[in-house]
Amino acid sequence: MQTIFQVGAGSGGMVVLDLLCREPSVGRIALVEPDVYKSHNVHRHYFGNNEVGEPKADLAAKWVRQFRPDLDLVTLPFDLLDRERQGEIESAAAECDVGVCAVDNEAAKYHFDALMRMHRRPWTLGEVLSGGIGGWVHAFRPGEACYGCVASHLQRSVTTDNSPPPDYTNPGGPVETTIPASKAPISAIASLHATVTLGLLSGTAPEFTSLLMPLAKVDGLFAEALRVHKFRIPRSPECLICGEHATPAGEDLDVALDQALARLGHE
Amino acid sequence: MGLLDTEAGKRRLLCVEIPAVERYNEGRDPDFKVQVMRGGSALTLRYRLKPCHNVYMLETRLHSGYPTVPPETRVVTPLRHCPHLLEGQTLCLWRQGSTRDSSRWDPAKFTCVFAIQAAWRWLACYEVWHETGEWPLPEAK
Repeated sequence: MQTIFQVGAGSGGMVVLDLLCREPSVGRIALVEPDVYKSHNVHRHYFGNNEVGEPKADLAAKWVRQFRPDLDLVTLPFDLLDRERQGEIESAAAECDVGVCAVDNEAAKYHFDALMRMHRRPWTLGEVLSGGIGGWVHAFRPGEACYGCVASHLQRSVTTDNSPPPDYTNPGGPVETTIPASKAPISAIASLHATVTLGLLSGTAPEFTSLLMPLAKVDGLFAEALRVHKFRIPRSPECLICGEHATPAGEDLDVALDQALARLGHE
Repeated sequence: MGLLDTEAGKRRLLCVEIPAVERYNEGRDPDFKVQVMRGGSALTLRYRLKPCHNVYMLETRLHSGYPTVPPETRVVTPLRHCPHLLEGQTLCLWRQGSTRDSSRWDPAKFTCVFAIQAAWRWLACYEVWHETGEWPLPEAK
């Protein structure tokens, strides 16, 4: 039986979770999802209006149990970056066979990458492009390119759909400049994300680090829809995120840091 | 998350950022060396720059989420209101998704010293703008 550590059960993460939980080889899933289901989620999610107000983690658990009552689903209904809960998050990371990242903020992606590297676990990441014109699926393996190497290599010349949901309680608030994707492209990219994850679980490593799937023809960006681009991005020896440095640990690290900061404070 | 309260954050500081600042300071006039101050969960770099004619006092703040969150630089010396200047005399230096290397903060490649260099370039532009009314670099795309 295999264990998955997933972060995010939004419109894309829920599709990934649904597809992974149906695999008989998956016996345990730890899911990090702090959000509450809101009315603006309804048109892109599996759940209806009568579920508005419930924690997404609880809804995800109910969904999974319909199909896999035997599956051990552990919900962690707090933020991945919550300082107070890092012990639980690290345990979940240490126990998994594969990590699945389905969040759309950069800080969480870097943090998930750090957790997976610390425990030497492979992981996958799905990203839907603004307006649902396409998306990325990335596969990371221990010792290979980290998220920092990949983000740096790709230069992030197109921004991912990280727009917050519309705030109907604040009609005079800032206007969104990114276009939200609709359910079909989100599900298409999430299905690819799940497929790549299952490949890693079965030990079949994909021959790419990053897969770009255009879902629409966009002048100056995508010449053709549904023509997959695959990239094998190497680990960058100069990467400041995954570069290895000999450092003291624990209290010695604190002492060394205090000394260095004191030195620079009195320059 | 956790520049000063996680192992990863502390290691980044000790092995990457502090050596970069020390190299920057090496042999530099004492008035122009970078000082590093700790404040809560963030670090502040204080320094002077002289891009052309004038000396400016600046602060670059490394927030708790650094390096994922880009450093934030403000000019302490009073400036005239000008393009690319945000509230509190904070410099508009980074644009998410920019294809121009110098306008896109890259935590895998840059240290806080890159933010100092970016501030120097911004101030050089400011002095040209002050003289001519034209900002000499195009908008980041």
